[in-house]
Amino acid sequence: MACLTSSRFCARVQDKLLCQFGHKVRRQTVFVKLKPPGPSPLRIFGKTCQRVTTCGPACGTSGTGIAGVAGAARRLASSLQSTSTGSLPDYGTQIVDPYRLLEDDLNGIYEDIRAELEKNTNQPELNTIATYYFDGQGKALRPMIAILMARAVNYHVYGENSALLASQRQVAMISEMIHSASLIHDDVIDQSDFRRGKPSVNVLWNHKKVAMAGDFILAVASMMIARLRSDDVTLVLSQVVTDLVQGEFMQLGSKETENERFAHYLTKTYRKTASLMANSVKAVALLSGADEATCELAFQYGRNLGLSFQLVDDLLDFVSSAQAMGKPTATDLKLGLATAPVLFACEKYPELNPMIMRRFQEAGDVEKAFELVHKSRGLEQTRFLARKHGVEAARLAADLADSPYQKALVLTTDLVLNRIK
Amino acid sequence: MSLSRLQSAVKCNVVKASAMCAAISKPWGPCTTEVSICNYIPRRNITQQNAKPDWNRAVSEAERIVGYPTSFLSLRWVLSDEVANVALHLRKLVGSNHPLLKTAKNLIYNGKNNMQALGLIVLLVSKAAGHSPEIPDMEQDKAAGVLHSQRALAEVTEMIRTSHLVHKGLVNMNTGLRVAGERSDMLFGNKIALLGGDYLLANSCTELANLRNQELVELVSSAIRDLAEAEFLGERDEQNNPLPSRPRPDADLETAIEWDCILEPLPTAGVSGCLSREWVARHVLAAGALLGKSCSAALKLAGHKPSLQTQGYLFGCHLALAWQAFLDLEPFSGPEPASFSLVGAPLAFTLQANPDLYSYIEAGKRSVHHVDYSALYRAVVAGPGIALTRRLQSEHVGRARRVLDAFPRCDATTALTNIIRAMTHDAP
Repeated sequence: MACLTSSRFCARVQDKLLCQFGHKVRRQTVFVKLKPPGPSPLRIFGKTCQRVTTCGPACGTSGTGIAGVAGAARRLASSLQSTSTGSLPDYGTQIVDPYRLLEDDLNGIYEDIRAELEKNTNQPELNTIATYYFDGQGKALRPMIAILMARAVNYHVYGENSALLASQRQVAMISEMIHSASLIHDDVIDQSDFRRGKPSVNVLWNHKKVAMAGDFILAVASMMIARLRSDDVTLVLSQVVTDLVQGEFMQLGSKETENERFAHYLTKTYRKTASLMANSVKAVALLSGADEATCELAFQYGRNLGLSFQLVDDLLDFVSSAQAMGKPTATDLKLGLATAPVLFACEKYPELNPMIMRRFQEAGDVEKAFELVHKSRGLEQTRFLARKHGVEAARLAADLADSPYQKALVLTTDLVLNRIK
Repeated sequence: MSLSRLQSAVKCNVVKASAMCAAISKPWGPCTTEVSICNYIPRRNITQQNAKPDWNRAVSEAERIVGYPTSFLSLRWVLSDEVANVALHLRKLVGSNHPLLKTAKNLIYNGKNNMQALGLIVLLVSKAAGHSPEIPDMEQDKAAGVLHSQRALAEVTEMIRTSHLVHKGLVNMNTGLRVAGERSDMLFGNKIALLGGDYLLANSCTELANLRNQELVELVSSAIRDLAEAEFLGERDEQNNPLPSRPRPDADLETAIEWDCILEPLPTAGVSGCLSREWVARHVLAAGALLGKSCSAALKLAGHKPSLQTQGYLFGCHLALAWQAFLDLEPFSGPEPASFSLVGAPLAFTLQANPDLYSYIEAGKRSVHHVDYSALYRAVVAGPGIALTRRLQSEHVGRARRVLDAFPRCDATTALTNIIRAMTHDAP
């Protein structure tokens, strides 16, 4: 019974949220114009800003690591499919691992980002801090999705012989840079000790310098955006930065009533996570010269995928081990944040409400909340909501022209849903 | 003995003016021609005879010329949700020692000691240069004589500067110096400072994007990068307060490389060890680049040709340096202060002339508060530093005014001249 009411409640909240987003989207698409395709040749003071070749050294260890995780997720994915409601299309034997499919495009992407940062400073320490998280150990999820969407949309618009534009690969790099800049600032705010299996930046360096390094990465990303010379892309990507900060502000406060709280949580999740994915895939679609409807489709795909991704992340914070995540678990509770599992759990256990309001500050709060979440159906309901967004993303991707990339976009929704870290 | 050497340093041997290739490729490029001091700086006794162009009057008159005050701390900011949020959290910090409160106070009571007049300068330069006749009426603020886009740019300039100041006001908690009880206060203060600065930065990005001029976005973004770089230049104490580098004799110095293309980062070859070069590099990164690039961008918005945009850049950059030299002189104009900037020009010149004084600086490696300011003060007063700094200031003032002279006379150029004069008049 509790489950029934809460899922109904959740659907209600979502409708409300969708309206909000609908409004937001309309406002953004005012700027969308049709643009002729093709790379725009740019020379800035004798240097071309477009990279054509990607023949950096092979990203050996990280590549196999990704393949391993992807393999595991794929196995999970196929098991999921046999029991799923059948809303996902049947790939038959043809399962496309997105990371393998994009191996050439993703190869050397971290090297390229590091080179771009290094080119922009003559201060060795700034370079060290700024490039610290671009060591190739990350999942490169955001660049992967951006390139996948770029290729899928290019295929959709121009057919089989389309290629990835250099500018689209730049957007993939920019999305990872904006993400890292926000991680660096988050580390100073949250005082986390570990990230991606190594000490986080705030442990190693002066906090003032760390904050400046974050600004620096953002500034370099912003210069790269400007060099794409597209007004619309700049507008779309600057929205991401605003959303990130506003999401961070939302995290500072909490709402009194349950209803408000869930809407607040979902909006915050959109701004902190989904906006970056949604707007970067929209940017690559704009660069491809796709029509407004396709750009909107890309945006909605990214939004749903991003929401699904973050919901799973919040879930994993309760179930995954510290070793698998490369960072400590139950961190959200310790930071005083009530994420989806807690919000669902407090339907059954109202005693969580005062804990949420005092941000789990009192002794024993974190442990008690952790226990109650596991006793409730909060985790299950969170997974349900995540799956809902994943299915929606897959449905949107299915509208693009059939291609290996389009199939991989569909598969990515499963990867995100079934990841273990 | 080293006076002549220092004088050549004053002429900024870091850079020489070069024929520039691209839109705005010239660096802070002060060329080597000597500027006669008496040409531009009225002597003290003349000062008293003139109607005294006091600072506040110069600024408020200038604000009248370009419309309303440019500071972004206007009503629409006070009414915004996020700012209200920050203010609320800021209140929790009252009573703690977090420097963010001091930063906030300085932003609100803006005397001449900070660069809050930044946006004003950008607007005055915009008005002084006028704009291309092709720009439609809709985009102009006819009454003020500037474009709406230029006003937005002026606001962005102030936001970027403020964001940088706020981020600079973070506390480094990685030192072990802090007492445990203060920790949560500092953590919270850092959080608010970081988010507040990010908020301003994010808004700058959006405002810039709305100008729909990608060359401009690139230029202004590069100024944000320069500000970040400035916080890494040279020696630092544990709270990242800057210290001068150890002065080295000329023979040991690398050749300086000029800053040919301001979209690239500032070259640092030959900067460390030569304190006058270090002074220029530091303050170009921390102040000159932003003001210069914003002035240049304002002229770009008005449709002026690249050569004039370069002039705009030079004006902003030299004005910022002159301003900085003026601020550096202030502690030496009255009674002995408790402390003063260790990277100010007077001390830089004094250290270069007498490298033995560097042992006082070394005492501040952990914290600048451990430095014996009184001893350094006496050394500066006795040495050549103050005279050389005045000279440095007048040189940058001269270069800024030379750019100004190329503009047609109008109320905006007069206002700019008055601001420069107010700055030099107050000098000791």
